[in-house]
Amino acid sequence: MEVLQPFRNSLSNRHEIAKEWKSRNRPVVGWTCTYTPEEVIYAVDALPVMVWGTLGDTKLADAYMPSNSCSFARSCFNAALRGDYDYLDGFVESNSCDNRGKTYDMWVNYSKIPNIYFINTPHTNTEKAHRFFYEEVVRFKEWLERTFKKEISDDLLKGAMRVYNENRALLKRIYELKMKKPPLILGSEFLEIALSSLVMPKLEHNQLLSRFLAEVENRSDLPREGVRLLVAGSVMDNTELVRLIESVGGSVVADDWCTGSRYFWNLVDEDSDPLKAIAKRCLDKVPSSFMYGREERFRHAAELAKRFDVDAAIMFVIKYCDTHMFDAPLLRDELKAMGLPVLYLEWEHSMSGFAGLKTRIEAFIEMVGGVK
Amino acid sequence: MSTVNRRLKSTSGFYRNYVKKFYEDAHRAKAEKRPVAWVASTFPVEALQAMDVVPVWPENYASVCAARQVSVELCERAEREGFSRDLCSYSRCVLGSMFGYEKELPESGLPRPDFLVTTTCACDTHLKWFQVASRLYRAPLFVLDVPYNVGGGDSAHLDPAHIEYYKSQLDELFAFLEKQTGTRLDLGRLSETLAVSNWTSKLWMEIQDLRKTVPSPMDARDAFSAVFFMLCMPGSQVAVDFYTQLRDELRERARDRIGVVEDERFRLVWDNLPLWFNLKVFEWLNSLGVVVVAEVFSHTWAGSLDASKPFESLARKYLSNMANSTIQRRIDIIVGLVKDFHVNGVILPTNWGCRMMSIGETIVRDAVYKKLGVQSLVLEVDSSDWRVAGDAQIRERLATFLETLKS
Repeated sequence: MEVLQPFRNSLSNRHEIAKEWKSRNRPVVGWTCTYTPEEVIYAVDALPVMVWGTLGDTKLADAYMPSNSCSFARSCFNAALRGDYDYLDGFVESNSCDNRGKTYDMWVNYSKIPNIYFINTPHTNTEKAHRFFYEEVVRFKEWLERTFKKEISDDLLKGAMRVYNENRALLKRIYELKMKKPPLILGSEFLEIALSSLVMPKLEHNQLLSRFLAEVENRSDLPREGVRLLVAGSVMDNTELVRLIESVGGSVVADDWCTGSRYFWNLVDEDSDPLKAIAKRCLDKVPSSFMYGREERFRHAAELAKRFDVDAAIMFVIKYCDTHMFDAPLLRDELKAMGLPVLYLEWEHSMSGFAGLKTRIEAFIEMVGGVK
Repeated sequence: MSTVNRRLKSTSGFYRNYVKKFYEDAHRAKAEKRPVAWVASTFPVEALQAMDVVPVWPENYASVCAARQVSVELCERAEREGFSRDLCSYSRCVLGSMFGYEKELPESGLPRPDFLVTTTCACDTHLKWFQVASRLYRAPLFVLDVPYNVGGGDSAHLDPAHIEYYKSQLDELFAFLEKQTGTRLDLGRLSETLAVSNWTSKLWMEIQDLRKTVPSPMDARDAFSAVFFMLCMPGSQVAVDFYTQLRDELRERARDRIGVVEDERFRLVWDNLPLWFNLKVFEWLNSLGVVVVAEVFSHTWAGSLDASKPFESLARKYLSNMANSTIQRRIDIIVGLVKDFHVNGVILPTNWGCRMMSIGETIVRDAVYKKLGVQSLVLEVDSSDWRVAGDAQIRERLATFLETLKS
């Protein structure tokens, strides 16, 4: 489908897009955790971009980070050491997980990126946590204003909230096209669309999403239906793994990735005080595994499994993600209790890490497909 | 071979006299239906002591299991339930003991908790592990959410917003404890507990200071035993009595220049955790004339508490714990220890299932060398899972490092 091409291009040209934005005297701010209040970055007229790794080796980072550290965090840091992110005017890190909190030290000590900021993210959403995090978001706004010498008015914030909510709503509509049988779009196609939202200007992305929605209903190249799968896990910053699943007969129709459904599932309340609403959404959205409310994430995954009528689930845990590893046995049991076959996989964030998974995924899909 | 002096009188029989007794007392409390709580380290335990709750430390229990050489079997038990081998070995070990172990557990296992209290102060694992345990035992869990001390300040230089958030949660903690125990918080009692804890900290730091003496009167083997009170019962009289006795013995030794070894070849600093399964490695180092004279771990738990401002001083003590801060804080502590304790080298053991103790050790190594010209060894190990690195491998790496110190 031709209308998919701009999304695909944005992934291969992400650094060029950022540099182009910068060439018009507007800053680019990198972030790593989906708990970052992105709307505030947008409101200061900066381009918020999520920092990802590559699937190549991480030799540069390995000199500093031990082999038992998060392979995704290591890969991102490796990209920074290689200079991939030298164009960043700011970088936002957080204590949302241990790996992230400790990698902050790496960026501060060894990268050349200016203006590194740390947001303290609560691990719970009690009333007191909300109060604390709101203050954190206020401070973040003030830091952005100081750093980029531009005042962030309520109107700018409200504009950002509108644009972001539109993006979330459009992404959700497209996501739901996978409910159809056969799904109207492939899991890998959706992931390209979702990931591009994290690296390209949101306004432009919204236009592309609307265009895509207008055209997708009439697509002639309908995807083949494979074994319908829910994939669960943390972050997915590339489409290789989903392509691998599709290459052996799987259809990824639902996910609980933080860069997938959890990124756009919840809207920000446009009728409340802007910073309060932005902070509130962060703590109340479908939680990540570092948050106390893990049952809510499990519920989200289970609901998706039902609504998207999946045949099986694959759990992907990036090595060495403690919070997901702790959640894994219970999530596995809950999905199994729904009658779903479940495959649990730990993977190194690299191409060679994938290679080892292929046989197991293929065998699993054959097994599920056989009884289907 | 160096001349190794007799071990300290105060610490001889430490395990039997204090640790074993601690578990016996906890089991007795459970039998008598007194409230027993599981606690994570860096949790303000003084709050529990003041409410007559009997705290037990799963982390300490894991170290006991490691010393008794059963930690790996228990870890494997948890792995069979789906808990990854890459998780914290403390947590795997304790979860393994909960899932059922065919042999007799050391100290009859951990008493089942009436409730659990944890904090995000030191790591994600404390939250996630206790969440799993709380569900398995269907016991309530209290979580104290702690902001990361990114500014790296000590207890006098913290972010006021962090102190406020912490204090506001202490209100919730006491409400939780009152509900669980059915007794009211007595502020006078809390102040008394804080005063005792404060005294314990002071004594412990005096003990550490005495180790600056050349030759050092105490090494890591004894320190890693004696630190037990700092972690598990800082607000108790038994801690004060023990540390007073230990301090007095060290004073005598320092006065008479009686060291752990007579002819010290190297004095080392040890970061992070000891190898609980292999505490003998310190004795082996002694036999080579090497003494670990300071541990970062021993310099992590003390904190001054103002009994007239209990909530605020608890917030300050725990928010400023090194585990809750950036690598710069660790560097500052180690640089200080190297200087003050006349140290020749630094051992930086990582901990396989622990990101907090593994990421950043290279920054420490480079910073210490740049600042003082002192070498460090990043030693890839695990405190309780010897499948990561066994005794022979560890000794070989240490021996090689000692060779480089010689040149």
